[in-house]
Amino acid sequence: MIQVRRALAISRKDMESYYGKPPLITWGLLFPAVLMLSLYVKDPGTYLDIAPGIIAMTLLFGNTSMAAIVVTFEKRAGTFQRLLLAPLTSSTILLGKAASAAAYGLATSLVLTLGLGLLLGLRLHGLWCFALGLGAGALCFSLLGLMAAVLVREVFEAMTLMNFFRFPLLFVSGVFMPLAHLPWWLKPVALASPLTYVVELLRLGISGKSYFISPYTPILGLLLFLTGSWLIAGAIFRRRAAR
Amino acid sequence: MEPPEIIRVSGLSKAYGPLQALQGVQFSVRRGEILAYLGPNGAGKTTTIKILSGLLRRDAGEVAICGADVARDPVFVKQRIGVVPDESNLYPELSCRRNLDYLGELYGLPRPRRQARATELLAQFDLTAKAAAPFGSLSRGMKRRLTIAAALMHDPQVFFLDEPTTGLDVPSSRALRALIRVINQQGTTVFLTTHNLQEAEALCRRVVILIKGRVVAQGTIGAIRERVSRVNLLTVTFSGEVSPEVLRRACPAVLAVTPQDNAWRLEVADPHAALGQLLAFSATAGLRLEGINSAGASLEDAFMEILQDNLTDPGTVS
Repeated sequence: MIQVRRALAISRKDMESYYGKPPLITWGLLFPAVLMLSLYVKDPGTYLDIAPGIIAMTLLFGNTSMAAIVVTFEKRAGTFQRLLLAPLTSSTILLGKAASAAAYGLATSLVLTLGLGLLLGLRLHGLWCFALGLGAGALCFSLLGLMAAVLVREVFEAMTLMNFFRFPLLFVSGVFMPLAHLPWWLKPVALASPLTYVVELLRLGISGKSYFISPYTPILGLLLFLTGSWLIAGAIFRRRAAR
Repeated sequence: MEPPEIIRVSGLSKAYGPLQALQGVQFSVRRGEILAYLGPNGAGKTTTIKILSGLLRRDAGEVAICGADVARDPVFVKQRIGVVPDESNLYPELSCRRNLDYLGELYGLPRPRRQARATELLAQFDLTAKAAAPFGSLSRGMKRRLTIAAALMHDPQVFFLDEPTTGLDVPSSRALRALIRVINQQGTTVFLTTHNLQEAEALCRRVVILIKGRVVAQGTIGAIRERVSRVNLLTVTFSGEVSPEVLRRACPAVLAVTPQDNAWRLEVADPHAALGQLLAFSATAGLRLEGINSAGASLEDAFMEILQDNLTDPGTVS
């Protein structure tokens, strides 16, 4: 409990210091909002098919960017060492950093969803699926961002490293093209992407339909990815954080 | 009865690839003392502090701080130590007060205690007027003071200071040394690394000298100085220009001549003979001997001699 309180202190400080940094606003909110609007203008009838993917993409870019920028910035400034010198376990630091990044991603995704609701009439059919997709996805993507940030020293290095997996994920995870329309050989690859399960949970939340027959499949898939990300990020963090 | 040991290090070794940064380092620090950990650049001082503060894993040896092993129980040890790194590294965008408050949160201090402690430290370090200013806007001296204050938020039992006055002007350095004395008088054990040997001499009773990752000398400053006490030192001032070569030729009892401000610092084997030769030299050269002082060997003299005895291979590590 003591360590959880300290993790919350880390999150609060990060929100105070880094929310509002230009790259986070542009990548986290402006880019998906403009993309969504342009798709709506092109074809107002099908924007609901693409909305879950765009919201999931917002979550992916917002969270990974926030996590990576915060950690690489603090490593450069030497302030990250403050956390390593404090009586905190590596899980506490990881949780604190991941939670602030997740909160940021959740906030931008919710702003985008609210905007779609107010401007384009988007309605939610399954609130729990939507919330679970956003929450678990936010944490999972934050941990991916932290892994990248711990491995490098500069912000641009972290962004470059993350783009190696972020852009391919957009292609294979049903963001722009439903999973059912993917070629057969890409479908197994889609199942190896956490973004797929986030998109499908959001799709269930928005339209009540999904590529998966049962909602438990994407829930289970995402929870597995979340657990794996936590374990891998923890191992990388313990090995590399002080460098 | 001597106070108990609060830091005990034995057989400490660390290598970076093929480079041996620390080799069998052994020393202890007693509760309430200020110990200076001295060494040239790359001797392994920062590596030692990083291991002692839990930032770096050791390859071999034992490290006990406040009775616990930092590698086995890092949270326990970190709760009891304060570390001031060689760079002032607080959060530039946060105010001085918020920086202190945040670090207090990380050490688990309740809010009223944090607020009271921050107010107390801002006053003690003469930063009350800057409480609302961002850390990034402070002068170098103020940044250093706040970094030290931040490491004291949780009342640590052991305080590690890595080159605390590097880059500071003379008044700021003096003020900081006075603060270190006050912190120690309040009961905190201080582990100080510094290049400034006058600083070590002014603050500490005991020193450990590290060269190329090995402890080559340790003990009280008096005992370390005695290593070079066989040499007598004289500081002399003449009324005119003097060539050191001519001076040495004229005075065989003088072993070495080095300039020191407007005077000459002489190492002499026999002070009695040297004095006679100096008087004879000044009379012959038509100069007046305006001043003469005898001085014992300083810590710097002892350090330089120990360094020369031990430094044969230039391979070092930071």
